[in-house]
Amino acid sequence: MTRNVMVIDLRRCVGCQSCTVACRTWNDLPMDIIYNPVLTEGVQGDWPNVHRNWLPTLCMHCENPECVPCCPTGASQQDEDGTVWVDHTKCMGCKVCVNACPYGMRDVSHMVPRFDQYVRKCTFCRDRRQNEPGKDPYCVQTCHQKARIFGDIEDPNSEVSKLINSVETFRLFEELGTNPQIYYIPFLGGHR
Amino acid sequence: MKRHYWTSPIAIYLFLGGLGGGIMFLAWIMSAFVFAGQADVLGPALAGPMFIALLCLALGCFFLVFELGQPPVFWRVFTTATAIIKWGATMLSIAMFFNLFYVLAYVPWFPVFENFFMPFRAFNLGVAGIMGLGIMIYTGVMLSTLKAHSFWATPALPILFTTSATSTGCAAISLSLGVWPGSVHMTMASYLGAVAIHEVLHVVDIVLVFVEIGILLIMVLSFLGSGTRTAKRAAKRWVSGAYAGWFWIGMIGFGLVIPLCMYLSGVSAMSNGVAPVLVLCGGLLLRYLCVWTDDRQPLPGEERYYNKLPKSDAQFLHAWEDGDLY
Ligand code: SF4
Ligand code: SF4
Repeated sequence: MTRNVMVIDLRRCVGCQSCTVACRTWNDLPMDIIYNPVLTEGVQGDWPNVHRNWLPTLCMHCENPECVPCCPTGASQQDEDGTVWVDHTKCMGCKVCVNACPYGMRDVSHMVPRFDQYVRKCTFCRDRRQNEPGKDPYCVQTCHQKARIFGDIEDPNSEVSKLINSVETFRLFEELGTNPQIYYIPFLGGHR
Repeated sequence: MKRHYWTSPIAIYLFLGGLGGGIMFLAWIMSAFVFAGQADVLGPALAGPMFIALLCLALGCFFLVFELGQPPVFWRVFTTATAIIKWGATMLSIAMFFNLFYVLAYVPWFPVFENFFMPFRAFNLGVAGIMGLGIMIYTGVMLSTLKAHSFWATPALPILFTTSATSTGCAAISLSLGVWPGSVHMTMASYLGAVAIHEVLHVVDIVLVFVEIGILLIMVLSFLGSGTRTAKRAAKRWVSGAYAGWFWIGMIGFGLVIPLCMYLSGVSAMSNGVAPVLVLCGGLLLRYLCVWTDDRQPLPGEERYYNKLPKSDAQFLHAWEDGDLY
């Protein structure tokens, strides 16, 4: 069975935010919604030993998502391949799931009419993958540094499988038990 | 932390839900256990408080629905069994129906209802009372199951909310006992029953306020002493930060300690009239502060990122609409 995951190679990310812009474009997002912010804690260390790291993020498509069972309408769902998505025709905008997500990866736009607000989140470009099988999410296709790699972890020949099985990776807030499916390859120097 | 996703309507909903639940639960306990066998006498005295409870639940539901992004489809809340708020909404609906049936038995202008519902009023009150208990617990559980939020994800929160809801329920019953337009039902015995209930609730509320002060301080101070970094930061806001005035003066002082002193000073105009109002205000403030303390552990760099984004009223975001691009 397919299980889609993403590997993010922090050694490669240069913080250009192209993925963020690509995602906004593909998903036609309102101004106040960002699915995949590229975070940084700014310049670290003392001159001349300074460095700056970037942390590209997105929905972790958790194996045990907090956001799905709490949804009273059934709008929040998980596909067999692990993709977590929101059927906005069912969502009533109660924002339970927004408060349930430990990663802050769901949001409601305030730039749409007041009584037409539903929850939005990254879907690993579910529409794109359904319409054109084999295509990657748009952020993956756009990343010129090849820092974002997408694939099926169950396929031993996929790039993600090979990476996860050969280099050290870590995941965010693993201790919460959500089993997030975004694997990070640490920054150079082993910074997490 | 991007922003608060739940705001005043949810705080008011949690307060009114707990208050309505508390009134119904206590009315049932009084009628079925404390003064067992006196339902005929106590019924008319409890009709007023039960009607207030019905109004609280209805208004609470209004605020909940108003907070939704798509209010017209609120009925979808009933569709998924794994969701805690489905169970909350179900209990609220059942409670409101049975509460209404109870109150209809005492509406003086419609003898049809009175004749129909009077034989079932003990059953109706029982169902409403049990649902009331469920609703009180649910208002706390709804927040405490959201483990992304350190300040909410504690078993102390449902206990605190249930205690506070019962205490506000006591206060509201004390204020509305025997106040009912259908005074045709109110006999001298009913008035005496109301006085007896008042006496009992007076003592019960003293105990509840004591317990609430204890739970509140234990919860907040233990977060401050040994919570996660996020919980500590939130607790610090309560104890010595931006919310300290609201917490110490508003909630602990005016909401709990001062009414407690009034209650302890014996039955007087202050303990009958002012203390219950202060307890109610303290309960509302508790819900407000808790809903606003929705701190989530940030991802590395997350706060920096969102602090740098323009606010939604930034001029350049609206230049296009305003037509003053050039
Ligand atoms: S990261 Fe948040 S939104 Fe995404 S699957 Fe996990 S809990 Fe749900
Ligand atoms: S906001 Fe929508 S998707 Fe989220 S829990 Fe409520 S109904 Fe479900």
